[in-house]
Amino acid sequence: METTDQNNAPVRLKGMGDGLCVSLDPDQPRAFIRSELTRLFQPLKHLAVNARVILDFGEAEGDEGLVDELGVFLKENFGVGSVTQTPKRRGSSEDFVRRRDVDRSWHHYRSDVLMLTGRVRSGQKVTARRHLLILGDVNPGGEVVAGGDILIMGSLAGTAIAGQPDEVDTIVLALDFRPTQVQIGSVVAAGPPPSRRRFPEYAHVEGGHIVVENYMKANPFGRMPWPEVR
Amino acid sequence: MDGKIIVVTSGKGGVGKTTATASIGAALAAEGKRVLVVDMDIGLRNLDVVMGLENRIVFNVVDAVKGKCRINQAAIKDRRIENLYLLPASQSDNKDVLIPEDMIRFGAKIRSEFDYVLMDCPAGIERGFENSVAAADEAVVICMPEVSSVRDADRVIGLLYARDITPKLVVNRIVPDMVARGDMLSHEDIVDVLSIDLLGLVPMDDHVVISTNTGMPLIMQKDSKAGQAFRRIAQRLNGNTDIPIEIPQGQGRFWKRIGTKFGLGK
Ligand SMILES: Nc1ncnc2c1ncn2[C@@H]1O[C@H](COP(=O)(O)OP(=O)(O)OP(=O)(O)O)[C@@H](O)[C@H]1O
Ligand SMILES: [Mg+2]
Repeated sequence: METTDQNNAPVRLKGMGDGLCVSLDPDQPRAFIRSELTRLFQPLKHLAVNARVILDFGEAEGDEGLVDELGVFLKENFGVGSVTQTPKRRGSSEDFVRRRDVDRSWHHYRSDVLMLTGRVRSGQKVTARRHLLILGDVNPGGEVVAGGDILIMGSLAGTAIAGQPDEVDTIVLALDFRPTQVQIGSVVAAGPPPSRRRFPEYAHVEGGHIVVENYMKANPFGRMPWPEVR
Repeated sequence: MDGKIIVVTSGKGGVGKTTATASIGAALAAEGKRVLVVDMDIGLRNLDVVMGLENRIVFNVVDAVKGKCRINQAAIKDRRIENLYLLPASQSDNKDVLIPEDMIRFGAKIRSEFDYVLMDCPAGIERGFENSVAAADEAVVICMPEVSSVRDADRVIGLLYARDITPKLVVNRIVPDMVARGDMLSHEDIVDVLSIDLLGLVPMDDHVVISTNTGMPLIMQKDSKAGQAFRRIAQRLNGNTDIPIEIPQGQGRFWKRIGTKFGLGK
């Protein structure tokens, strides 16, 4: 059932502080939007002159072209001062982050991951500015250092230093986890005693200490409601 | 002749580089190859002692490399094995008297006179190591079944790869009974970490000491298990790669097998 309730009208006007706020649905035909704006602005007469107008597209994506076009239209016909779009709710909105990461993360990020294949041997040191991913092994005496997380798709038997200099939210993960030493941020722990188990484990900081857990059981990121860029 | 220069190295000391150099050199010569073994442990020479040639030294490797004598003046012919020659280390010099560039020039010369040149590398990864690997085409890394030896071998393997030399592995001084009890690293554990081609496995063997004391080459001692292992290693180095790798067996294994036969096993 159609309603003509003000709140659901495709173009609405309300006063806002020292300006005017126009809520509109950018998917409506341009001619319709113009006629609605005329209908709303006509009665304002001199109140509209030099007014600061903010266009609010709600959840929809208003493109810059539309803002410019309507800006010219409102300035020429009603003498308004400035026309801008409501500022995007960047970062603060989980909704925004979710859509960004799921749909368009590749448009926004250059890779922050250093991905290597091979074996880091005794006396060798690999340093990554941010995350480090190794398809291979880290031998005893080898050292891997990262500004972010360290992921070893193989065995980690050397020293792993993640989250440098001070990111304690980072992790060290290995399919075969038996490091000599692990450091996350500035928290240091000696590796676990030798054992024959071989399953994926990861180290993270909890209450100022390094804790090692079975990665598959803890599944630390599996409970996140949606994928997020790390 | 366009011979191969092979460096025998380990990082850690006392793991059997000199023993391996003498034995592999002797075995290659026994196969009919013209072989020179070079003692690069300048200041601490002992390849001459192991080969029983210490009383024939006139010139040494430093003299030969520096051009103070000809190679055939410095190279000492082995007493027993045809085609085997030793270039002894200098006992009085310091390792710094040679630089890698000297060795590369010298390597080009000796390559033309021998089928195989084995360099007995000193322990460590400093100048003595640099000099020993400078002219090498191949490398044999000696490792003992011991955590610190594996660590040092790994370090050396990284340095060899960085010089575009693909190393091969010999595990020496294996005590099979200790491996069976889980008191010694197995060769599988070692290959797991080092992940390079295995040339052979050499057991702990009293004949090694006997050989050093009597000057009788290890490979010529009929019932030396270590001697036989080094012969097979030489054959594999010489291109017979289908010779199977024999895993040293201890007494424990033997009894266990008999036990199983009588239904007493496990
Ligand atoms: N398979 C073996 N069985 C028994 N003893 C061995 C074996 N291999 C080596 N040895 C002994 O171990 C000691 C060290 O061997 P060797 O001198 O060959 O080592 P190296 O690596 O050359 O030492 P360095 O680093 O001092 O030059 C010697 O006493 C030798 O007799
Ligand atoms: Mg030696």
